[in-house]
Amino acid sequence: MEAPSDVSILLLTLRVAAIATLAILPFGILFAWRLSRRAGPGRTLAETALSLPLVLPPTAVGLLLLEALRRSGPLGRLLDGMGIEVLFTWKAVVLATAVMSFPLLVRPARTAFEDVDPRLLAMGRSLGCGPFAVFRRVALPLAWRGLLSGTLLAFSRALGEFGATIMIAGNIPGRTQTMALAIFQRTHIGQDEAALRLVGVTVALSFAIVWTSEIVTRRRSRRTEA
Amino acid sequence: MRRLVVVLLALVSAARLGAAPDPAPELLVFGAASLTESLEDLGRSYAAKTGQRVAFSFGASSDLARQIQAGAPADVFFSADTAKMDALEKAGLIRAATRREFLSNALVVVVPASAATKIASASDLPGLSRVAVGDPAAVPVGVYAKKWLTGLGLWEKLEPKIVPTLDVRAALAAVESGAVPAAIVYRTDAAITKSVRIAYTVENGPEILYSVAPLNSSKHPSEADAFVAFLAGPAGREEFEKRGFLVRPPKP
Repeated sequence: MEAPSDVSILLLTLRVAAIATLAILPFGILFAWRLSRRAGPGRTLAETALSLPLVLPPTAVGLLLLEALRRSGPLGRLLDGMGIEVLFTWKAVVLATAVMSFPLLVRPARTAFEDVDPRLLAMGRSLGCGPFAVFRRVALPLAWRGLLSGTLLAFSRALGEFGATIMIAGNIPGRTQTMALAIFQRTHIGQDEAALRLVGVTVALSFAIVWTSEIVTRRRSRRTEA
Repeated sequence: MRRLVVVLLALVSAARLGAAPDPAPELLVFGAASLTESLEDLGRSYAAKTGQRVAFSFGASSDLARQIQAGAPADVFFSADTAKMDALEKAGLIRAATRREFLSNALVVVVPASAATKIASASDLPGLSRVAVGDPAAVPVGVYAKKWLTGLGLWEKLEPKIVPTLDVRAALAAVESGAVPAAIVYRTDAAITKSVRIAYTVENGPEILYSVAPLNSSKHPSEADAFVAFLAGPAGREEFEKRGFLVRPPKP
C-alpha cells in the first residue's frame, strides 16, 4: 500500500470530525439546555467536570480513555464481548475528538439558552406547551445562533485534535491518521516539505471554517430584534 | 435557524466523505520503523502476486507493542527486538508457533554528510555536543545502543548528551536536518538518505535480532500466517538483503 495521499488524509479528517460533531450534538444541546435551566452546586460541578477537556492536557484525557477501553479494562471487556473494536480504529479517533470537542459545543449553546428571556419560556408554558414543546418552539428558534457557533467550534476542534487521538487511535496511515497526526508523522521522519503541504491545507481549511462561522452567525444586529 | 440546518446537512455529507476508514479485508502489519522501505516494497509485491492487500503502521516497536497490548487490531507484528515479542507471547497475544526470527542489523553512528566529524572509536562519542537515539528506555535501537555503551563503560558519560527520540527514524531525521550532530541508528537506516554518512560502524555490539509473528486477535489468521511465511521466504530474504539487513539462514 502506498502512503495515503494528502486528499485521502483530508477526507478522513473531515469525515471523523463530522461524525464526532454529529454524535455529540444531541447530547451537547440537551446538556446545555438542562444546565441553563438549573442553578445550585450541582450545576457548577457539572460545568466544571464538563470543562475539564478544555484545560487538561489532551494526552491526559487520552490516557484516561485508553485505560477505560483497554482490552483488560471493564469497558474494554464489555465492548470486546459485543464484538466492537474501538481502540486504534477510526472509532477511537471519533471518540477522542468527540470528548475533546464536547465543551466547545456546550458552552456557547448554554450561553445562548441562558440568553433566552425566561418570560418567553413561561409564556410558552402558559399557552399549554409541554417542556419539549417549549424547548423546540421557543428556546431553539431563539438560541440557534449559539448552537450553530458551538457546532462549528466543536467541528474545528475535532479537525485538529492530536493528543488524545494519538493515545487511543495511534497513527495508522489510511485508518486513524488525521491531518494533525500526519503532520506530526511526516515531520518526525524528516519529510518537512510533505508536512508543510498538509499545514497549507489545514490553514486553508481552518480559514474557510472560521470564515463560514463568521458569516452564518453574524448579522445579529439586524435579525435578532426582528 | 435555516443556517443551522444547512450546516448540519453539510456535516452529514462530510460524515460520508471518502472511502470507508477501515477498508475491507486488508492485512494490517505493525512494523518497526527501520523496516519501513523493505516492508512497503514487500507489501506491494505481495499484493501483486496474491491480490492480498497489506497496510502498514510503522513506529518504534515498543510503541507498537504497547498498542497491541491495548487491543490494536493488527494482524502481524514485526519487532526490531525479541524482548517486545516475548512480552506479547507471555501475554498470549501472538501465535507463537508461527513466530520467526531471521533478521539482524548493525548499529552505526551517523553524522551530517557535510560534517567533518571523525569518530574513530566509541570513546569519541561523549565528545559530541548531542547524540540522538531512539529512547533508550524503550525503543529497541536505544536499548541496543545503551547495552553496547554500557558494556564499554561509556554510557554514564554519554547519557547527558543523549537526545531521546520516538523511534530510530526520528533520530535519523534529526541528523538529516542538522539539528543534532550525530545519531545512533541501524546501518539500513543510514542507507536510505544521502544527507548523512556513516562515521562509525559498531562491531562486537549486542546481538540485534528482529522478530515477526501473526497476532492471536487477527481476524484473518491464515492470511496473516501466509504473509509471515512470505516475509521469511526467499522473496522476503532477498528484499531484506538488498536493503542491507543481515539475513540468517532458515532454522531447521
